[in-house]
Amino acid sequence: MSMIQMFEKPLGMRDTFPAIYEKLENVRQTGRQYLRTNGYDFIKTPTVEYYDTVGKASAIYDASLFKLVDSQGNTLVLRPDMTTPIVRVATSKLLKEKIPLRLAYFANVFRAQETEGGRPAEFDQMGVELIGDASVYADVEVISLAAGLMKEFGITSYQLTIGHAGILQSILTSYTDTNEQAEELRVLLVQKNFVGFEEAVLAFGLPTMKTQSLLQFIEEASNLTSLAQIEKYVTKNDALVYMKELEELLKIAGLAEEFAFDFTLASHMNYYTGMLFEVFATGSGFPIGNGGRYDGLLHNFGQPVGATGFGLRVDRLLEVLPKQTITQQTAVVLFEKGCYEQAVVRAATLREQGKHVTMQAREAVVNEAMFIEPFGEVITITAGGTKQ
Amino acid sequence: MSELTIAMPKGRIFEEAYELLIQAGFNLPAEMEMSRKLMIEIPEENIRFILAKPMDVPVYVEHGVADIGIAGKDVLLEQGRTVHELLDLKISECYIASAGLPNTTMDEIAPRIATKYPEIATKYYKGIGEQVEIIELNGSIELAPMIGLADRIVDIVSTGRTLKENGLVEYEHITDVSSRLIANPVSYRLKGARITDLVRRLKKIVNEQVKDA
Repeated sequence: MSMIQMFEKPLGMRDTFPAIYEKLENVRQTGRQYLRTNGYDFIKTPTVEYYDTVGKASAIYDASLFKLVDSQGNTLVLRPDMTTPIVRVATSKLLKEKIPLRLAYFANVFRAQETEGGRPAEFDQMGVELIGDASVYADVEVISLAAGLMKEFGITSYQLTIGHAGILQSILTSYTDTNEQAEELRVLLVQKNFVGFEEAVLAFGLPTMKTQSLLQFIEEASNLTSLAQIEKYVTKNDALVYMKELEELLKIAGLAEEFAFDFTLASHMNYYTGMLFEVFATGSGFPIGNGGRYDGLLHNFGQPVGATGFGLRVDRLLEVLPKQTITQQTAVVLFEKGCYEQAVVRAATLREQGKHVTMQAREAVVNEAMFIEPFGEVITITAGGTKQ
Repeated sequence: MSELTIAMPKGRIFEEAYELLIQAGFNLPAEMEMSRKLMIEIPEENIRFILAKPMDVPVYVEHGVADIGIAGKDVLLEQGRTVHELLDLKISECYIASAGLPNTTMDEIAPRIATKYPEIATKYYKGIGEQVEIIELNGSIELAPMIGLADRIVDIVSTGRTLKENGLVEYEHITDVSSRLIANPVSYRLKGARITDLVRRLKKIVNEQVKDA
């Protein structure tokens, strides 16, 4: 352990310098505007929550939680996501006032510190939760909003990958002999270990028909452009009917080009019971966001109503945003001793015109050439007069 | 057609994997000049190879600077990175095993294991209900039991010759290892068509070779 130097910040923490701050703020405003026009209300929850409630219920791996201890000895977590805190608020209070409930957030969330770079322990997330609506229209709304946000941000190259936990489960169960086998295969899919999946299928010693079906499934089910391709694996059931409806509605919503199906998509959390999706964009090596139907989580909080939503990682969004030029420039009024009054008047006039103005006493500037460099306009007020 | 960046381990695995790609019909120069270059462009196929240490291939792929890569299963198990494991190339096949001096048992109070693979070793001994202490080494692992640093080693075994020459015997077979084709999760989506095509073509060759063998 080396000594901590004065300039250091805790592992995984980042400063947000002015240029990035403005970019972030831009994303926040654009997103907020878009979600507000879609009827979502913004909400804020505490930074820390109890480990035993929100921490354990969250979709984030236990080892990835940023844990603390409070003065009573309870374990706390810095909120790992916003979905669980929002569900806590909704089930305890808000659902009694309004149902279905449409909530949005832009908030910083936390992860356990990691030594490798590129894995911040704190980052911003933006997303929505639609709670109290179990219909397919709620899922369509949430997917459309995710796509809509990407468009609002000017991101052109992106893709939504949609799966269904129920359909996957029914395929795994019907082509294996025991629940243990089905679960083993599901875990391998969570890890995206297709090689392991094939090995496991062959090792089970299933009837040839089942083995062949599973091997074919793993080869083609991860990139489907149409639902028709999955039908041969599933006996007609509610989930399939649901997904067909979803596909139709997404086309009506004008998203036909934006999505693909992947029925190998699986989550390590078993409260994802229905549709789930991931958002990818060119420019980031990691997914931008994910979402899905999480009725099971509501059930854990004692309110068995439907809920669906998504969250986008703002730090990764920044990587894929098109380059923007910042148009707003700042003027500087540089004044000498005795000219303060003129400077105040001048600055006020400029600000009335809508300009951003910095006032600076000339005597306090050490290197004037360097100081005025970033300004779009320089007004120098001396006893001898004003120079522009 | 978008460019595909492939992270390859330097050395023998590169040559074998390169050969597989040629057999799968990729238009690659038959003689690759293996200089000190770390990046090789193949404009005919719009492919770019980057040459990395075997242990580093999953790092490049997980961070998305390489779309796909070829990595040993040992490295994948040890690092547990978020990458898609698409295909077993069945090259450089070997296994991970525990070994030690003949006719010895592990220390009862604090059994010590020397290894290049602390994660794999920890997981294995946890799995069989043994609490052990791990000592991480970077090479010549066989030395550890010989000189009394550890009771057992956990290491890659291909022919077993190194163990034998150093008077060690194998105790437990832990897991099989071979080279795998891995992909970045985002590339897997956004360059899906190219990657799926490559996997199909390679799979055909690999299966044919397994049948012939």
